[in-house]
Amino acid sequence: MRRHRRGIAAGMFIGLVWTIAKVVVPILIQRSIDDGIRGDDSLLGWAFAIAAVGVVSGIATGARRYVAFQNARAVEADFRDQVFTHAQRLHFGFHDRHQTGQLMSRGNTDLQQFQNFITMLPITFANLLTVVLASIVLFARDWQLALAALAGLPLANYFGRKFSQNLHPALTAIQEESAQLASVVEETVAGVRVVKGFGAEQLRFDALAVEADDVRDASLRAARARANFIPALEVVPNIGLIAVLAFGGHKVLDGDLEVGELVLFNIYVVLLIQPLRMLGMIVANFQRATAAGARIAALLDTPIEITSPSSPTPLPQGGDDDSRSIGRIRFKDVDFAYDPTNPVLDGFDLAIEAGESVAIVGATGSGKSTVARLLPRFYDVDAGSILVDGVDVAEADLEELRRAIGLVFEETFLFAASIRDNISFGVPGADLATVERAARLAGAAEFIEQLADGYDTVIGERGFSLSGGQRQRLAIARAIATDPRVLVLDDATSAVDPTKEHEIRDALQEVMHRRTTIVIAHRPATIALADRVVLVDGGRVAAQGTHDELLASSELYREVLAHDDTELPSEDGAP
Amino acid sequence: MAGWMAAGVDADDRLDFDAARHVLRSTARRMRPYRGTAVGAVALLMIWTALLVVLPVLFGRAVDAIDSGNREVLNRTIVVYIAITVVNYFLWRAAIIGISRTGEAFLRDLRRTVFSHLLRLSMPYFDREKAGVIVSRMTSDIDSLAEVVQFGLQMFVANALLLGAVAVVLAVLSWQLFVVCLVSIPLIYVASRKFRRDANAAYLQVRDGIGSMLSRLQEGLAGVRVIQAYARTDIEAERFHDVNHDLFQSHMKSTRVAAWYLPIIDMSGVGTTALAIAVGGWMARDGQLSIGTVVAFILLLQNLFEPVQQLSQLFNMIQSAGASLHKLYELLEEPVEVAESSEPVVLSGRGVVEVSGVGFAYNDGVSVLADVDLCIAEGERLALVGPTGAGKSTLAKLIARLYDPTEGNISYNGTDLRDASLESLRKRVVAVPQEGHLFDGTVRDNIRVAKADATDDEIVAALKRIGVLERFEGLPDGIETEVRERGSRLSAGERQLVSLARAAIVDPGVLILDEATSSLDPGTESIVEGAMEALMANRTTIVIAHRLTTASRCDRIGVVDGGRLVELGSHEELMNLDGAYASLFSTWIGAQNPT
Ligand SMILES: Nc1ncnc2c1ncn2[C@@H]1O[C@H](COP(=O)(O)OP(=O)(O)OP(=O)(O)O)[C@@H](O)[C@H]1O
Ligand SMILES: Nc1ncnc2c1ncn2[C@@H]1O[C@H](COP(=O)(O)OP(=O)(O)OP(=O)(O)O)[C@@H](O)[C@H]1O
Ligand SMILES: [Mg+2]
Ligand SMILES: [Mg+2]
Repeated sequence: MRRHRRGIAAGMFIGLVWTIAKVVVPILIQRSIDDGIRGDDSLLGWAFAIAAVGVVSGIATGARRYVAFQNARAVEADFRDQVFTHAQRLHFGFHDRHQTGQLMSRGNTDLQQFQNFITMLPITFANLLTVVLASIVLFARDWQLALAALAGLPLANYFGRKFSQNLHPALTAIQEESAQLASVVEETVAGVRVVKGFGAEQLRFDALAVEADDVRDASLRAARARANFIPALEVVPNIGLIAVLAFGGHKVLDGDLEVGELVLFNIYVVLLIQPLRMLGMIVANFQRATAAGARIAALLDTPIEITSPSSPTPLPQGGDDDSRSIGRIRFKDVDFAYDPTNPVLDGFDLAIEAGESVAIVGATGSGKSTVARLLPRFYDVDAGSILVDGVDVAEADLEELRRAIGLVFEETFLFAASIRDNISFGVPGADLATVERAARLAGAAEFIEQLADGYDTVIGERGFSLSGGQRQRLAIARAIATDPRVLVLDDATSAVDPTKEHEIRDALQEVMHRRTTIVIAHRPATIALADRVVLVDGGRVAAQGTHDELLASSELYREVLAHDDTELPSEDGAP
Repeated sequence: MAGWMAAGVDADDRLDFDAARHVLRSTARRMRPYRGTAVGAVALLMIWTALLVVLPVLFGRAVDAIDSGNREVLNRTIVVYIAITVVNYFLWRAAIIGISRTGEAFLRDLRRTVFSHLLRLSMPYFDREKAGVIVSRMTSDIDSLAEVVQFGLQMFVANALLLGAVAVVLAVLSWQLFVVCLVSIPLIYVASRKFRRDANAAYLQVRDGIGSMLSRLQEGLAGVRVIQAYARTDIEAERFHDVNHDLFQSHMKSTRVAAWYLPIIDMSGVGTTALAIAVGGWMARDGQLSIGTVVAFILLLQNLFEPVQQLSQLFNMIQSAGASLHKLYELLEEPVEVAESSEPVVLSGRGVVEVSGVGFAYNDGVSVLADVDLCIAEGERLALVGPTGAGKSTLAKLIARLYDPTEGNISYNGTDLRDASLESLRKRVVAVPQEGHLFDGTVRDNIRVAKADATDDEIVAALKRIGVLERFEGLPDGIETEVRERGSRLSAGERQLVSLARAAIVDPGVLILDEATSSLDPGTESIVEGAMEALMANRTTIVIAHRLTTASRCDRIGVVDGGRLVELGSHEELMNLDGAYASLFSTWIGAQNPT
């Protein structure tokens, strides 16, 4: 805010010039009527004076607006940068609890309200000044008439404030209801296959009909506020004008007042109405801006729970590439819960050697993905600790840690950008050779090269134009491109069909060579890639060993993999 | 005023004469139910404006009465002034209420009509159009109409009338003085034209700027997990700063446009007043005009320049609303490709599905399926297997009539799907798609998607039927757990279970499962499959699965490759055939027992 102060001061100065010009014009008009038309002064002189002041006031109008908007927009842009940057750094737990839509409105509608208020600051100052100067002039002319003319005007202020107070909740309601309506439409379009598949059209229509009614009701509430106050605000100056005519008219007839002065009073009453109305509104506007500002401040003040320690321990570097000895991982008695009533991990203990590959297997909802999310420290453990090459993840520099760990999420999220940009996401500016190599290792090179634009193909909204399997392969390529010391694949080949999967598997073997790898998978073929299998159950490691060992020894493992030889129809000659 | 109403329209979207006439005509037709109120409200607005112009004239009359010392006339004028003020209050109030009522009712109907048409449109349309564009029809396009309804229309009518009325009154009061006052009109005309064009361009730039800023904001928030995982927060912040700064620049450009225009209008106003005083004053001294007329002139001139400035902004706003309406009507005229026949047959019972000579191509015209012949008996379980992109899902979508085949036909119990009523078809043939979208709401709401009138007991029963009830009851809020955006509160497998429960709550004749269990661990999968066994008993079922154990348990297996059904038969038959299936199966078995 501080660095915008100078601009606001400039705005106020221009507002001062503008106000004086505005207040002077009616006086000049009065003089020209009384001294020019009815008296015998030079009319031309007065007319020139009016025109000259008009030029000053015109320029001041433009300048005032320009400066006001420049300031307000600059403040808005500044805060928006801060909102985005802060939201980007906030921990996963925060984002789990806050919808994208909510955060969007911090950076959008809330900031607009704030900006509106700042835009109005200079003109508010000018308005106050106008009211004071005009009142002084009027009272100096004829205090009785001034009293009569101005008596009704505070009503404008009152109505203005009431209007704003009535209108605003309705406007907020319109905004909220419109957002809800938009999300019904968005979800319906995104899930149109489900809607059609189950014939849920009526259900979605009913949901929309409710929102359409709500939007209408909120809009009518706003309309009622307008109908109640806008015409009333228009009546107020007329009260003043009638007082001027009735009281002042007879005064002129009695010879106590000049006709020009009557016109002067008239013009001033009209001139004052807008400033008074706006002064009323700015009060309500101020309350609103404060509320919006408070919401923005609450976001900006939300502590980032997961940050680098002040003096991070660097991760040990390995030797040259051929003798990698880095990528050792240790989960030490880790407890973790997303919400305290529902523990997900409970004494999870696991050690993985450098360069080893481990498959994590477990039933749906057993916490496999959670284990993967804890390693790059997206969440902090509740108890126990996680070490990467002997360094507690909480002690490591966050960026270094996350660069060291390449995680392929089970939900593929690609950006609306070219395939090349998507693959080189973690290594900005990577050359094409690196991108191509990563694509090849992920088994993606073949289909990319078949696309008309190859690596420059821009993939659309959520990368929808690609099949699920293709998207997963891009996500794998993106992780490989960063050459992480630990690679984590969270069910990253579930949508790839088995006939293609072995190609990816062959390629992955090259990637996994001497690189610590954790694969979360359900398919025996993928599990077989790993040196060791870890079975997760009840939030802890229930058993570990090779695939065959576990098949032989663990009842639970056989259950999870539904391994039942008798159920497989036997192939001729095969066991 | 602080915030002026910015609006604008793309050159491509601007309506030509024919389109504008079409829009007006369609709107008039849709407005028919509200015509009475609408016409009434506009009439009130007109009377109100006329009376508004009378007020300064009355003031002038009062000044003349004062000038000539006539107390009687002065008093009478004041009474009339008071009366008009009171009448005007009620007129305006009634006009606002009338316009809003009809306008909002019109918008509500439009929203419902457009959305219900959207729901009727078929998959080819959704493949063709970008989701964002479809959504914007229902949001930003209708919103730009709402602005017009909420104040644009009132202000446009009022300002246009005011401008006309003021001009007429001025000309009547003194045409000589009026002509003199017209000198600034050419300047205002040229300035307003240029302003309108510049403001339009600036508005479009701001609109695009807001669009890019919002989509970057949205992407940054939706993808925040990936961004953090790749330690890209600084780069993304930098990229956001760039679009944000561009937006700031566009805002400033738009401010600059207003910054030169408003002073010109302002100066013309004061300049004309000065002129009126000089010339009018000279005429008054000369006795050609009363002093009250000059006063009325000065007061009325204040009313002349405000409408000019607002009209040039409103004009852009109305134009953009016209363009939006045009796009909405275009959407309403979009043909329903997969349409219901005029005499729909209601499907019932379980059934035989017969696919004969079917060929299909998506919008791009590339043939995806060719010459598919297939008859699925009542109660039969058929598996479709084959490599990625072979056309398995496509065949499933044709059987559910999400698309119509380009060649051949598909029938249910002998009724061509094209002749069936869509409602009964969606009840008889249910497809669980590969990506089961979860809607915002609870687990229960999401299961109810399949059957709007399902009771809570039925929902619990469906979960029990597929053997996963305990799993969901174990969640902190049970089946009342909010699944959050796209189901992010649940694990991947749990999301798929919700989607399967949808299939378990309905009672279709044909059930199509398109890789509906791919994210489940095999253990859960086999529990679910076992449980669904009962569900699938004597129900025609089509299963698309990559796991060949699942396929091998089906009555028959169809192998799809390159858009053709290359093999069809039971597991044993196909194994003996030693063709595509046999080789797929042996690769797969090999992968199951890795060494
Ligand atoms: N963001 C979250 N907030 C609250 N609870 C969550 C969240 N993500 C997952 N859970 C819960 O934590 C448990 C473990 O989830 P997790 O995603 O780790 O399972 P998983 O083993 O990966 O399962 P799957 O095989 O289905 O992917 C589940 O019961 C799930 O409902
Ligand atoms: N909506 C669409 N528009 C255009 N082409 C499409 C569309 N959906 C699928 N295709 C194309 O049609 C072909 C068949 O796709 P389909 O989804 O039927 O394959 P599939 O056999 O189900 O494969 P998978 O095992 O990967 O699910 C593919 O080449 C695909 O790219
Ligand atoms: Mg998972
Ligand atoms: Mg498919």
